[in-house]
Amino acid sequence: MRGDHMSELPRHNLPAEPNRFVGRERDVGDLRRLMGETRVVTLCGVGGIGKTRLALRAAAGLLSSYPGGVWLAELAGVGRPELVERELAGVLGVREEAGRPLLDTVAARLRGQPCLLLLDNCEHLVERCAEVVAALIAACPPLSVMATSREPLRIASELVWRVPPLELPPVTGRSDAESVRLFLDRAAAAGTRLGPGSLPDVARLCRALDGLPLAIELAAARTSLLSPGQIADRVDDRFALLTTGGRTAPARQRTLLCTVEWSHDLLSAKEQVLLRRLAVFAGPFDLDLAEQVCAEPPISEVEIVDLLGGLVDKSLVLCDEGRARYWLLETIKRYAAERLDTASEREILRERHLDALCELQEHHFATELVEPGVPWEGRLEALTTSRSLADDQRVALGWAAESGNPALGLRLCAAGTALLPVGGNPAEIVAWTERLLALDLSEVPGELIARAEACLAYGLEARDELDRSLEVAGRSLARLPPGDAFTRCVLHSVIVVVLLRMGRPDEALPHAQECLDLATRSGDTWNQAAGLAGLSAVALTRGRLREAQRHGEEALARAREHGHRWIMARTAAQLGSVAEARGDLVTARSRYELAVPWLRELGGDLELARCLARIGRVAAMSHDFGVARERLAASRALAGETGQRQDMARCLAGLSVLAECEGDLAGAVLAAAAATTVRDSIGRRPAAPGDPSGRHSAALRDLNGRHSAAPGDSIGRHSATARIEELLGRARARLGEGRTTSLWSRGRAMDSDDAARHVLESEPLAAGTHAVTEPVRHSLLTAREREVAGLLTRGLSNRAIAEELVISPATVARHIANIMEKLGYTSRAQIAVWAAEHPRASA
Amino acid sequence: MDERIVMVDPDTGLKLTEEQLDERSAMATVQLRRRGVRAGDTVLICLPVGADLMIATDAVIAAGGVACPLPADLDVDTLRSRIRESGARVLISEAPRALEAADETRVRIVMGVADLGALPPYPIRRDFCTQSDRIERRSSGD
Repeated sequence: MRGDHMSELPRHNLPAEPNRFVGRERDVGDLRRLMGETRVVTLCGVGGIGKTRLALRAAAGLLSSYPGGVWLAELAGVGRPELVERELAGVLGVREEAGRPLLDTVAARLRGQPCLLLLDNCEHLVERCAEVVAALIAACPPLSVMATSREPLRIASELVWRVPPLELPPVTGRSDAESVRLFLDRAAAAGTRLGPGSLPDVARLCRALDGLPLAIELAAARTSLLSPGQIADRVDDRFALLTTGGRTAPARQRTLLCTVEWSHDLLSAKEQVLLRRLAVFAGPFDLDLAEQVCAEPPISEVEIVDLLGGLVDKSLVLCDEGRARYWLLETIKRYAAERLDTASEREILRERHLDALCELQEHHFATELVEPGVPWEGRLEALTTSRSLADDQRVALGWAAESGNPALGLRLCAAGTALLPVGGNPAEIVAWTERLLALDLSEVPGELIARAEACLAYGLEARDELDRSLEVAGRSLARLPPGDAFTRCVLHSVIVVVLLRMGRPDEALPHAQECLDLATRSGDTWNQAAGLAGLSAVALTRGRLREAQRHGEEALARAREHGHRWIMARTAAQLGSVAEARGDLVTARSRYELAVPWLRELGGDLELARCLARIGRVAAMSHDFGVARERLAASRALAGETGQRQDMARCLAGLSVLAECEGDLAGAVLAAAAATTVRDSIGRRPAAPGDPSGRHSAALRDLNGRHSAAPGDSIGRHSATARIEELLGRARARLGEGRTTSLWSRGRAMDSDDAARHVLESEPLAAGTHAVTEPVRHSLLTAREREVAGLLTRGLSNRAIAEELVISPATVARHIANIMEKLGYTSRAQIAVWAAEHPRASA
Repeated sequence: MDERIVMVDPDTGLKLTEEQLDERSAMATVQLRRRGVRAGDTVLICLPVGADLMIATDAVIAAGGVACPLPADLDVDTLRSRIRESGARVLISEAPRALEAADETRVRIVMGVADLGALPPYPIRRDFCTQSDRIERRSSGD
């Protein structure tokens, strides 16, 4: 899915359009051109005016202009300002790095190829959005941003583009005005064919609705019951009624409110109840979730499918073609949320939402990992569904914390694969768990706390907080009921990893054994594989290679039995590092290669980047340079996308090995120096004082931690330092002290991309930066423009040039504007200089 | 060159030379075009009498647009109906009343005097340049 097939990747995440886009042709074209001129464009306007749709339409036509991609971040469901950058990171596939602000990592990712970020619905977080956009625009020269918001961001360099309503028809009702076209299109989609006779009424209605697209869609959805004339009358009546509440609101807002209210009041009583309840969902939902959350008297579960269909018919709820996902437009959602409050149903619905999320995520967790005999397709589906609920899970966790319900919240944390997807975000799960554990826990059963602590220990290990992880894991183990074998096994595995990272293999051994024994008794193949992998890692640390091999093989067999690609990839990598330890590069590579398709299937970018770097290094050492180059290039691209400096450092170290194996000692020094710079920028200390040095120890990181570096990774800080010392020794001997030192300091100052490119493309050192070739400009100008340019060298005014050429001064001004545009100059003086230097071009 | 003065600001006494007018309106023309003003487009100008008004008017004409002046002292409702009637996409003004009146109209972009002036660095993005540019690059690439 990723890596070396990057060019085939869709470089955008724009949704398919749910129906035909009508009108606004010039606006779309203007906006697309504007994006080439201005880096931040904000589409502003009231709710329902069509900002989102216009932005999506404009952005869809810009894909070829942004090789780095066009990425939509929907902020409507983002509840808190601090989550804005998290949403961006999620959309871009950027992962949080320990000890580095997420926004920095996101910025690093956006510094590469030209990219367009589309931030939809900024208004409720407008201040944070403004800060984030300003910071990213300053830090990332190739980045452009298009935002939609009711309010401008109010930052320098922002161009505010006011979205107007659709063009209105004259009273006679011509059918080519945008608003009329939209109405007729949507009425036809609802199955109503309107003859020319109804045009005057349609025109009257469109005018009454101020040309607001959303209002027009809501009205058109009712044409099967009411004629355009009847709808117009009723909407008019509404305006008369609405004399109090919305009186001070801008006219268009009042129009929209009226129309939404009118449409709402036409719903059956039960449809009204369902619509307001749908406001609890953070993101798109499926029928199942709607049934679980919204079935509460007066509506029952079985009715929901029909009620939802009714809301879709009335354009109040949108859905994809297969009706797999439903969602509400922001304007409708706000209205629905108000109704929910008025009906005093918010709390009960939030409770149900939290409840349902708990049930669902526990179910998905069990299907993905615990239940025996589930085929891989089933496990993957559970994982995918669970991930898709992440936004709703966050909202539910927020409610659990806010309403003082730690019991359900902690359950949701523990079942939190959605927040801990493969290669996921340990910082987030740690934060949620700690927040909930800080509440009053007197009513919470001990085993629930213990299970949440297991999750915490797991997250802490991934964050390199080894001492705390060990402490929390021990406490959790003591409190867990004996019956919860799966969690016990996970805890033992976490402890094995932590102890190995602390250099205490003897203490790790019994935990690995206990994990295996427990899992064997309970028939849990996942943890059998994990326990065996732990035993293999312990044996490897102690230098018992044959034992490590035996355990590793058995671990892979158990993992295959379970079927989950993550544990399969993990155990294969373990076997790879065992082979590497005994110097068998061919086997090592083939084991690492096994993991690649599995990790691709999972979309595990972090693990994949590491795995590819390992393959590249091993291939280089076995002098298979083509493969090494390809794998390291793929790894570098992935590391760039996820923004992980650790991975970039690992990749550069691999490239250094490659260069040296190819006999390019200078390149090897450069890459190693650049890798050191990247490592220094992370500023991370080795995990613990007791962290042993040497190749095996680094090979043992992460036995169970899904996010930390996988085993077999022999480029930890210590071994990296050792290798660099050796490399520098060889370089001094061959290249001399002076040259080595100068190469090293040059590499230290080198951009990591340049250093990587140097090795990957074997670019000659001197090439450095290519001078940008000047386009041949003079032939762009017309004969008349060249003439005007020539006259400018004489310092003539527009009026004087006009006299000379016998044309009007306005025409001269137009010619000059044309020349400036074509040549990219910003003043007449620049044209004069250019013309003087290119006499033939301008004569 | 002759230092022809084209206008003197009645309030400040500042002079606008012909050279300055040519230079600034040339920049302003480019700015208008970058924001999408095309031949035949109406551009509303609601500025106090002075150099900026003159420059803006010249620039709109040079961009091929129709310059439509709006007296800044009209009340909001009158301004709004004038703006609506014009169907203009671009308004050049800094008067708060005019900005308010531009709400609920078909104006897409409001430009201030500063927007007419200093040009940002020319975009490096060559793919957004003119059609002729593209043809030029293609043929020179062969």
